[in-house]
Amino acid sequence: MNDLAAATAAPMTGAAAPAKIKVRDVHFYYNGYHALKGINMDIPEKQVTAIIGPSGCGKSTLLRIFNRIYAIYPKLEAQGNIELDGENILDPNYSMNRLRTKVGMVFQKPVPFPMTIFENVAYGIRHHEKLSRADMEIRVEQALRSAALWDEVKDKLKQSALGLSGGQQQRLCIARGIALRPEVLLLDEPTSALDPIATGRIEQLVEELKHEYTIVIVTHNMQQAARCSDRTAFMYLGELIEFDNTEKIFTKPGKKQTEDYITGRFG
Amino acid sequence: MSGSGKEHIIKSYDDELIRLTGELVRMGELAVSQLEAAIDVVERRDERAAQHVVHNDDAIDQLEQEISHDVVRLLALRAPIAGDLRNVFAALRIAADIERIGDYAANVAKRSIPLSMAAPLTPTGGLAHLAELAAEEVREVLRAHRDRDAERALKVWHDDVELDEAYTAYFRELLTYMMEDPRVITPCTHLLFMAKNIERIGDHATNIAENVWYQVKGEPLTAPRDKRDLTSNPEPVKLGNRPD
Repeated sequence: MNDLAAATAAPMTGAAAPAKIKVRDVHFYYNGYHALKGINMDIPEKQVTAIIGPSGCGKSTLLRIFNRIYAIYPKLEAQGNIELDGENILDPNYSMNRLRTKVGMVFQKPVPFPMTIFENVAYGIRHHEKLSRADMEIRVEQALRSAALWDEVKDKLKQSALGLSGGQQQRLCIARGIALRPEVLLLDEPTSALDPIATGRIEQLVEELKHEYTIVIVTHNMQQAARCSDRTAFMYLGELIEFDNTEKIFTKPGKKQTEDYITGRFG
Repeated sequence: MSGSGKEHIIKSYDDELIRLTGELVRMGELAVSQLEAAIDVVERRDERAAQHVVHNDDAIDQLEQEISHDVVRLLALRAPIAGDLRNVFAALRIAADIERIGDYAANVAKRSIPLSMAAPLTPTGGLAHLAELAAEEVREVLRAHRDRDAERALKVWHDDVELDEAYTAYFRELLTYMMEDPRVITPCTHLLFMAKNIERIGDHATNIAENVWYQVKGEPLTAPRDKRDLTSNPEPVKLGNRPD
């Protein structure tokens, strides 16, 4: 076992908060390609954990295992344990429906459904719950308020979501995600298609949402990880190199590889 | 908040910048309190109280450490630019000046201990006057920093000349005592060092003023500053005289 393997054998945490997700010796294979190599980490509850690393390092793959979205594709295989509140979500007996209500996800490109703003948020709720019209209206409003979008759309809930700006569409997708009242919110490059103002709004939203949700964000933008996360994980070639408090990662990283990456000396 | 007065989209950024200003003002107030306490122990000839003042300097040093930490954190995590960058940069430099002001106050208190052991032959009123001027300079420049008021800072920068003149006059007064009575040379020498420490506090206040100017205007304060500390003038006869 090399020193890196030894360093990653024990779960990395650096977190004072209790672990919401425990990742234990997770391996992932794409058509036989070994994409994740023995990941161990504890994702702290109600904090923001950022995952950074160069393209192909496995950060999005790791994120997508947290809600088993890979399961919709053939020839993909995850091994190991991912415990959400103590239950292994990789266990085939763990209900996918239950997992999707507990773990919400927002993707890089906002994809509003071609329907009204109201229906975009209500759609997912209807799939899981039967609510009266009045209760549904309350629920949709709560989600839009939580996503800091309510004031901008409250007078046009019946208009198509496709007319919203990119930043608004992304907040709508976040509203759609939190409408199901998940416990974990996964954000995969949520601002890479947005301008700096819209990016700032999403980052402020993340800061507000972390009081209610455990958030994991994958980003190419290191400064974004620095600005809005409590913990940062650095991945490289399918391995977790370092996982620590964000302040420590960006002022005094423990590993040379991390320092080389965040200071632009990589490659 | 940035120099523009508007809030950042990410509110915690504002909180961190406001906290930094608050820490600096608190550190400055502590340094001024230390100076006033040091003068108080000189006049009361209280050795224990003097040691207390010397010991309290640790609190100022601790605050400087905290500010340095916060500045590094802001630089690393927020990547400040424009007015925010100048605020953060100025904060680091101002903290270093306040730390030195604290050191000078502690030095005054330290020297008051041997002074209190000598016979009370020399008046210390001149020293108290110097300290009043210096304390007001520091308070005023901290207000300028808190309010981002470049003109107020510029006035402090100019007004330091009063402290220089008062120091030169006190230097001359002490020389006179020493010439008249060699028994007071030791206490007067201590008083001279203490007076010089206080005069240096004024110089640090002008440094802070220059940083406030840069912080607000984005350009250095480069004009030559009038200085009236003439004690190093090779012609002693001119001591205390205003330059032509």
